[in-house]
Order: sequence, then structure tokens, then C-alpha cells
Amino acid sequence: MNARAPQHDNVVTQSLAQIGQCGLFLLTLLAAIPRSFRYLRETVRQLWFVGAMSLTIIMVCGLFVGMVLMLQLYHVLSIFGGTSASGMVVALSVYRELGPVVTALLFAGRAGTAVTAEIGLMRATDQIDAMEMMAVDPIAYVATPRFLAGLIAMPLLCCVFCAMAIFGGHLVGVTWLGVDNGTFWSNMTAQVDVHTDIVNGVLLKSLAFGAVVSLIAVFQGFTTPPTSEGVAYATTRTVVASSIAILALDFVLTAFLM
Amino acid sequence: MSQPRSSYAVGTGLFIVLGFAALAYLATQTSSVANVHQGDSYVVDAQFTNIGQLKERAPVKIAGVRVGQVQSITLTPDRDVAEVKLSIDKSYNHIPLDSVATIFTSGLLGDQYVGIDYGSSKQTVAAGGTLARTKSTQPLEEMLGKFFGAGGVVDNVGGSYAVKAGFSNVGTLSAGAPVKMAGVVIGSVQSVHADPVKLNAQVVLSIDKRYNAIPDDSSAAVFTSGLIGSQYVAIQPGGSPEMLKDGDEMILTQSAMQLEDLIGKFLVNGSPSDKKDAGNGGK
Repeated sequence: MNARAPQHDNVVTQSLAQIGQCGLFLLTLLAAIPRSFRYLRETVRQLWFVGAMSLTIIMVCGLFVGMVLMLQLYHVLSIFGGTSASGMVVALSVYRELGPVVTALLFAGRAGTAVTAEIGLMRATDQIDAMEMMAVDPIAYVATPRFLAGLIAMPLLCCVFCAMAIFGGHLVGVTWLGVDNGTFWSNMTAQVDVHTDIVNGVLLKSLAFGAVVSLIAVFQGFTTPPTSEGVAYATTRTVVASSIAILALDFVLTAFLM
Repeated sequence: MSQPRSSYAVGTGLFIVLGFAALAYLATQTSSVANVHQGDSYVVDAQFTNIGQLKERAPVKIAGVRVGQVQSITLTPDRDVAEVKLSIDKSYNHIPLDSVATIFTSGLLGDQYVGIDYGSSKQTVAAGGTLARTKSTQPLEEMLGKFFGAGGVVDNVGGSYAVKAGFSNVGTLSAGAPVKMAGVVIGSVQSVHADPVKLNAQVVLSIDKRYNAIPDDSSAAVFTSGLIGSQYVAIQPGGSPEMLKDGDEMILTQSAMQLEDLIGKFLVNGSPSDKKDAGNGGK
């Protein structure tokens, strides 16, 4: 589990080795879930750190995404006299795509990097080795709680994001631009489906993104070279790999779920 | 040590509560609970010859109020009839047996739904019963066809007969242009080509079989719809007892008016003969 990435000179084999190690690491994480129940308090503390502490950025960003979406839609739809559909379009696009994806990208930037840097520094300062010396399983104590916390926090954050986006859309559309309040809500409720949009869109997608981002963050932290340069590099790689994984997975999930 | 721990525990609890509150808000306030609410309902069959864009879970409405949804749409294997199962709320179980199920479109571009108009029968549709009287969706093409008088007439292959007509000038008439009688489309122009011997334009008109009582001394004229519209062939009925048959040639024709000719008639030095030469030379 503490195996450093073996040195490969080829980019392709390097990436393949990374993906393979990441998959094996996921199995180790999942196998450690029963053991990590002993450290439930640690999981709650991580949930506080990656979830509750991310609320501000998620809420502010959700608000602005909803506002700008409404602003753009209003000007396009007013060409066709279809501004009454703007609330519906805001809701559908936020639930199906923007909510989970933007939340996951923000989550990777806000929480994923912090987790990678923290674990990387733990490695660099030999804290991980010290835990092993004290017969504390670092996977069960460090990795799995952070993974589970990300898994739980992402859907909740995504729901908050979506609710704020709807609020922002309502603020701009109804309060400022004069879309009728009744048609705003009735068109939305008529078209949003609980199963396809909220369960499949918001919850399932954000759960998958949460798993991917947390896995990448924890994995990068554990496999980083224990130097200050290595930690910096691993933090960058968390953001890059998470972003690519989120957007690619989003396409796959959309293709399967829609 | 205990103070920060309890503070983050409270904060985490607040975060989880807020997350679930947001989820409940999304699920109840911004989506239709009625879409997912499947209370006690019963299923009624209805058969349609054309369901258009009707989809599963489309609403079923009585007097515009949603009472249920479309459960499934299947094609009857041996007939070209769509079998639609309507799942209707139990509280609306007094639908007369002779009610009419119609597929409507909400608005011009909206989704389609099934509307049920009550009949007058004392008997009501039981669960698993069938609404025998249905009205299928009206395809937009058919409706437009009714407005413009075209529709299935023009392309009615086999249901038409061909009549020839020679014109000294067809203007911009081209194959596919409508053939009208009394302003109503009765067929289309099948082909336009120049006759190498008679040195005029031979136009083959394909006329719908229903209009088989056109006298053989009727005249054909190339007209323009409006000032800048496309050209069409107008048939003015004659008085002969003999009717036009397949392969006949119409003798009386009136060529297309050309703007140059018209102007030439106004001007003294107009030269229709030049025009004619030019027309023949360019055949």
C-alpha cells in the first residue's frame, strides 16, 4: 500500500500503471471500511472538513451559476418569446449537468487538494510510518475516512448547489427581469422528473463524482514522493486527474442514464 | 479538546441536515410530485391508429386536469394499431364506457397527452377495460395539407392519370408544380420538356383519378400565384360531353405571361415577334 510508483519512462505505461495502482488502492480502501468503523469520529471530522467547510464556496458558486444561466437564457429565449420556459431550462440544465459537474470540480479544487496535501505531508514527515509502528492501520485511519467523507459530502453539496442555483435563477429571472413567478415554477415542476433528473442526475452523478474525486485525492496523497516538491506535484495532479475524470465520467454517465 | 470536537460535530450535523433539506426542496418544490406519485390506480386500454409523439408517462387528462399517465405503448403484433395502456387514478373511476380518448398536443410545439371526453353511457370503464372510441393524433402534415389543399393528392402514384398539354411558353413552370382547378390542387406537373418537332413545350400533367370528369375541351393555362409566387397550371373546364382520359392531349392552352410581353404591350415599340424568336432559339 505504501508502494511508490515504479519508475516508467514511457508516458503510456506510466499512466496505465497509475490507473492500475489506483484500482488496487480502491480495493484496499473498500476492504478497510469495516476496520475504519473504529475511527468513526475521524470520518465525522473529515466530513466536517471536506463537506461543511466547502459549503461557502459551493453556495456562492451555485448562486452565481444560476444567476448567469438565467441571464443568458432570458436574452436568448426572449428572441422567441419563450422566457416562460427559462426557469425550466435552468432547473434541467443545473440538475442534469451543471450541478454535479461544477460541484465536483469545485470539490476537487477545494477538498481534494487539501486531502492530497495533508496525506502527502503526513508521508513526507513520516507520520504514516509512525502509525504503522503504533499498529494503527493508516489505510483504515487516514485513507478510508477521507474517502467515505467525500462520498457522503458530494451528493449533499450538490443538492445545496442546485438549490442555490434555482434560487439565483429565480432572483435574476423573476425579481429582476420580470419573468412571471407562477410560470417560472409551474413550467419547472411540469418538466422536472424526480427519477430522471433528481435521482439519476443530481444524486447518482454526484455520488460517482464524489467517489472518483476522493479516490484520486487519497491515492495521490499516498503515492506521492515524500518531498516538498512531490507534495506540490501530487496536489496539481489531483486537480488535473480529477477534472479529466469528472468530465469523462460525466459523458459516460449521461450516455447511460439518459 | 472536547470543545472543538463538539463544534465540528455540530457543524457536520448542520451540514448533513442542510444537504438533506436541499434535496427535499429539489424533490418537492421544483419537480412535480404528481409525476412520481402513483397512488391507487387502474389501467384502461385504448387503441390508436397513430400516437404521434406520445410517450410513456405522458399525462392523461380529463377536462384539462391530470388524472393519470400513459403506462405503456405497444404495437399490436398483427395490426398497425398502437395499444396504449392508461393508468388512471382510482378516484376517477366513473368514466363512461363510450368516452372518447383523444391524443392532443399542448400548445403548438408542446408535448402530447391523452385527453378523455366523457360520453353519456351509464356504464363505466372497469379496470382492464377498453376505451373503444379513440381519436388519433393529427399529423401536422395532414393539417397543413387541409389548409393548402395539397396533402396526399400530389404524390398519389397510381391514383392519377396523365394528360399532355403543349404550351408555346411555360415561363418558369417546373416539374412538381401544382395543377389546379377552381383554385384547388388536383394534381401536379409530371414533366416539362421541349418538343423537337412542334417546337413548343410539352407538359405532362398528372391529375388525381378522383377528378375524371374534366371535359376534353378544357383549357390549360400557366398562371402565377400572386405577383412573385411560383407558377402553376390552371385548368378551366370546357363544355364537351367527352372527358379527358389518360394520355389525352389538351388542345386549348394559354402560355405564361411574361413580364417583357406585358411591358411590350404597353409600349408602342414592343416586339412580340422578337420574343418568340428568342424563345424558340433557346429551346
